[in-house]
Amino acid sequence: MRIRKYDVDYSRRLFLERTAQGAFATGVLAPLWPLIASGDMSKAYPDELTSVEMYTKGKVKTGDVLTASNVDAVKDLLDPITFQQIKTMGRRITVVETVKDPTLLYPMAFLETSLKNKGKAKLGADGNIVDQAGDSWLGGIPFAEPKTGEEAIANLTLSWGRHDYCQYAIRQWDISPGGDPAYQYDFVWAELQANARLDGTSFQNKKDLLRIQSVWFTSPQDVAGSSFLSTWYYDQHKYPDLYGYLPAFKRVRQFPTNQRFEPLLPGITWFLSDAWAAGDPMLTWGNYKIVGRQPMLGAVSQNWHGSRKNWEIGVHGGPKGQTFLDANFSMCPECIVLEAEPVGYPRAPVGKKRVWIDVRNQQFVAYITYDRRGEIWKSFEVGWSRYQDGSTLVKDPKGNSEWSWTYVLSHDIQANRMSRAAHTESCAGGYKSQLADNGVDVYNKYLTNQAITRLGQA
Amino acid sequence: MQSMRYRIARWVMQHRGTTAALFVAVTAFFGAGLRNVELKTIFSDLLPKDDPYVQVFKDHPNFGNPLTVTLMVKRKDGDIYNAETLGKLWQLTRDIDLAPGVDHDQILSIATEKARYAEATPEGIDMRPLMGDQVPRTPEEIADFRGRVDKSPNARAFLISGDSSATLINATFIEQRLDYGEAFKYVHGLVRKYSDAHHEVYMAGQPALTGWVYEYESQTYRIFAVTLGALVLALAFYMRNVVGIVTPIVTSLVAAIWGFGFVGWLKSPIEPLLLVVPLLLVARSLSHCVQFTERYYEVYAHVKDRVKAAEITMGVMLAPSVLGIFCDIVGIFLIAIAPIPAMERFALFCGFWAIWLIPTGVILISLLLASLPAPRNVDRLIGKGASSGLHRGFRSLLSGVARLSYGAPARVTAVLMGVLAVLAVYTALQIKIGNPVEGSNLLWDDSEYNQAVRQINRNFPGVNTLELVLEAKDRKDPQRVARQADTVTTMLRLQGLMEQGSVPPRATLSFADYLMEGNRLFAGGNPKWLPLDPDNAATNAAATAVTMGSSSKAFSHVIDFDQENSTVSLWYKDNRQETVDAALKAAAAAISIVGQDHPKFRVRLGTGTIALQQAMNNVVERFHWVIIGLLNVVILLGCSLAYRSFVAGLVLLIPVNLANFILNASMHLIGIGLDINSLMVAAIGVGVGIDYGIYLLSRICEEYHAHDHDWGRTIVASLTTTGKAIMFTATIMLIGILPWYFLSGLKFMADMGLLLVLTMLINMVLALVALPLLVWMVKPSFVARKDLFVGEGVDLSQFTAADEDFGESRLAEVK
Repeated sequence: MRIRKYDVDYSRRLFLERTAQGAFATGVLAPLWPLIASGDMSKAYPDELTSVEMYTKGKVKTGDVLTASNVDAVKDLLDPITFQQIKTMGRRITVVETVKDPTLLYPMAFLETSLKNKGKAKLGADGNIVDQAGDSWLGGIPFAEPKTGEEAIANLTLSWGRHDYCQYAIRQWDISPGGDPAYQYDFVWAELQANARLDGTSFQNKKDLLRIQSVWFTSPQDVAGSSFLSTWYYDQHKYPDLYGYLPAFKRVRQFPTNQRFEPLLPGITWFLSDAWAAGDPMLTWGNYKIVGRQPMLGAVSQNWHGSRKNWEIGVHGGPKGQTFLDANFSMCPECIVLEAEPVGYPRAPVGKKRVWIDVRNQQFVAYITYDRRGEIWKSFEVGWSRYQDGSTLVKDPKGNSEWSWTYVLSHDIQANRMSRAAHTESCAGGYKSQLADNGVDVYNKYLTNQAITRLGQA
Repeated sequence: MQSMRYRIARWVMQHRGTTAALFVAVTAFFGAGLRNVELKTIFSDLLPKDDPYVQVFKDHPNFGNPLTVTLMVKRKDGDIYNAETLGKLWQLTRDIDLAPGVDHDQILSIATEKARYAEATPEGIDMRPLMGDQVPRTPEEIADFRGRVDKSPNARAFLISGDSSATLINATFIEQRLDYGEAFKYVHGLVRKYSDAHHEVYMAGQPALTGWVYEYESQTYRIFAVTLGALVLALAFYMRNVVGIVTPIVTSLVAAIWGFGFVGWLKSPIEPLLLVVPLLLVARSLSHCVQFTERYYEVYAHVKDRVKAAEITMGVMLAPSVLGIFCDIVGIFLIAIAPIPAMERFALFCGFWAIWLIPTGVILISLLLASLPAPRNVDRLIGKGASSGLHRGFRSLLSGVARLSYGAPARVTAVLMGVLAVLAVYTALQIKIGNPVEGSNLLWDDSEYNQAVRQINRNFPGVNTLELVLEAKDRKDPQRVARQADTVTTMLRLQGLMEQGSVPPRATLSFADYLMEGNRLFAGGNPKWLPLDPDNAATNAAATAVTMGSSSKAFSHVIDFDQENSTVSLWYKDNRQETVDAALKAAAAAISIVGQDHPKFRVRLGTGTIALQQAMNNVVERFHWVIIGLLNVVILLGCSLAYRSFVAGLVLLIPVNLANFILNASMHLIGIGLDINSLMVAAIGVGVGIDYGIYLLSRICEEYHAHDHDWGRTIVASLTTTGKAIMFTATIMLIGILPWYFLSGLKFMADMGLLLVLTMLINMVLALVALPLLVWMVKPSFVARKDLFVGEGVDLSQFTAADEDFGESRLAEVK
């Protein structure tokens, strides 16, 4: 028999109280993390938070497709841009079953490391994240139950892709307000954790770095070989170094370190600052506040289409039927709503960002930026998934099925331009996606100034 | 047998209830349409749609910066290189990012990170913002900043004035989010906030102009209310009885509801800049009602029965009223011949409003006159008994005027008129097309906006641009046409040819300039690397270099977002017609040299303020005489038919055409050229101005019989009766329209008001002098006919004797 005490209003009141009190506990019926450790989260939340049918009193059911006609019933479960996309632009989202198995929300190694190191992180005197001994973070989620906004953003910032090395082959289309693709780029995004690694080491003893990350474009021909190298310091007060390489001139160009609010190439709507909802060193932003807790619908599972050619995802909606990628959303029973302001960027056009973070894996499910007038500007929606599609799957080195992001929809709602990017099996230039270095010296191959000049010659 | 108009009049009076119900129903229908009425200036609709320059503008609306507001900060006592001015500039740049609807990616000043300088480093190129994350404060920091500015040639040319006393901030807005009124209010607030004893801040750009126009349009409604009030007061002063005041107001109000409701149902926006014309229609309706009501007084004084008097008046006035309004309608509808969407919509709105004046001004007015209490001061109003000083004054003046048109004085008047006509035609034909001003002709020369434009023109390349568009044949060409070697080479050749011409622009800019600068920097910084290799690989490489790490929006003034279409911008020192002609001629020659048609693109001349100004001049030149000519033909046919005499048509048209020539001659003498205003005024002037003639000629026909074919007495009698109504009509028009000239902040509207007043006054004088003079000289035979469609005569004795069969009535004196 369902316990009536735990209805929607009860959860809402509880979330309000926790937000007001600055409480950090997660779970409504039972503490969440012991259940995550046990491998079954189903007892943490009442049905009203795990069942969209219960939440909407039957108006929307698992398996339904959200459209303009029924999206009002779940308006409170979506960020405002996603709601507008469905309500006015013909976007459709399928509601899938709520995840109860925590392993579906993590790469297995990251989950294991997070559980192993749970409770060992703290904010140092200078605001950086350290272990109890004051050294760099050990790996995994540093703050499983974040008490502050700083702790919540640290969970996103310290390890973007949740692997020690990720290499994403990406195909991106930039859609004009009229619904036509204005630009199409193929590129590779590589990120190597220098510290906060799952293997517990510092990469090549580079203790002053957090990560090294590069992007190189492989198509179309006119930009192929153009590449960027961003070196992040562990000290989150410091701006990353950013270099670009132009193969035609054989020149490296250094960008201003605080140039974080510009696209890498024309047509792209997202900025470096938007990446992973934590694209800048966390202490270059400030005024972090947890402003609420709430259930959300998020693209957290069943979003990988490995059985399709090159893992590509279907499109629909918008004026020409190609603005949105197909996506599956499910109930995320409890999300932290975090706000922050770009205090370290005196010329930032962004006023603040709002991030909805799923407490089950401390990963964001929605991200919105506002301009300085307080008007909604952009979203950066990421689809996450276990890399298993029927019998097709991608395995990690230990044989577990992998987990990563599958798509990005970055929507500048003011200019009404959309960038939709898919994490594909491979992209132009023959580069393949991989979630480990596979024994290759990726640092010297992809992540130095010399490396990016070589990439440009390819 | 009764004539049709009397049968209509009788039927209406016999079915007053049914007719009134019909009017209520129709008014309710149009009233329901009022909620859809939208007053809106669509600037692109003010341009002639079939003009090739306008077509280029519409195909490439992003070129020429139509959505960019430009602020100029000028230090009054020195240069900008001081902490105070730079601090102000920094904060103003930050504040404009808060403007509603602004595109945060498209704000450019020397305080934004988009204004950069480049330095060669051992590793490559280091590109950094001119200004760091803080405003330079110390002398060393300021000197350092100045040094960086010197390394940025684009900033030097386009963001800082030659004497370093002024700098620009450009903010571009997102079209679909831009509320011009709201954005203007915000940015204008910044202009006030940041101006002080040491700094002047100026605001220009199309959104600023639109904002000013909207600002003044709200003022327009107040002027509308003031002038309407003045019209009602004038009416009350003249009539001094209930029926004489209520009837014109109700009639005009109903016509207005129908007029606005009609376009409301059509959902066709009304152009507020042209609102002075509807006011002319209100004045026209009021004056028509006055003529009608005065005639009713005369009839009522005789028959002493409201219903019968209304019926007779309707029968008498129907034909001349319809003919007069027909001419108004023709004049207004013919405006639509000029292919300007705003004019077409306006012709539809005002033309139908004029059509509605027929049922309201003939039938509704009769119903009202038959229903409202009979006036008690009829005798005074029609000149019997003790008339008021105003009426006496009018009458004695008109008696004097009448003396000029017959007998011995007429010969002198004729000679003078002949000389005046020759001089007027000769002078009018010298008039130039166009009224080039520095800034916008919509606003006064000393307006804040036009002053801002002058200041910006003085300190920077300015706002007078001609854009030569390189249009991609395939707008989805994967090779990005704007970054192809042929395109970029053509840009450079066009710039070179124009710069070497006899009237060189003061500055030129194209995407090629950015590519060359990128080429130089990435090739090591030496100026010898400025030229691009003329191949696609080199051009593409330079394009990637300059666009890397930024949005293509940063170059939206020279290429479109997709990098397919591009433009060569040419800045000219002014927009005088000689400059415009020379620029367009040189551009056409340059295009013929580089070739108009290329494999991947075509070169189109052109858009920008220079080309669009010429487009407006072209439309005036093409249609000014066409509209006048067609108007003459239609009116000649209509009037000849109505008076059953070709001579009658000519007699009516000569004064109105002469009035038009005199108006154009006057404009030429005071230095005003023909423009879109004069195009409208000419059409309305002839169409509405001829009303005076129709009323007077109809009265002359009537009085000719009443005065035993004595031309002199006929003319005097006509002028002192209908002539008086004409004078009152002209006075009403004057009251309704002249205040616009003095009260409106919109020069466009004020000019139109002034021209309309002038044309109406000239028409009135010529109707009262030239028309009777022509009649006296020609002594046309149609005047003697008794079967004229537009004759105003009726034998009222029949109605006092018996109420039947007056259709065969003979013409008789009314009084």
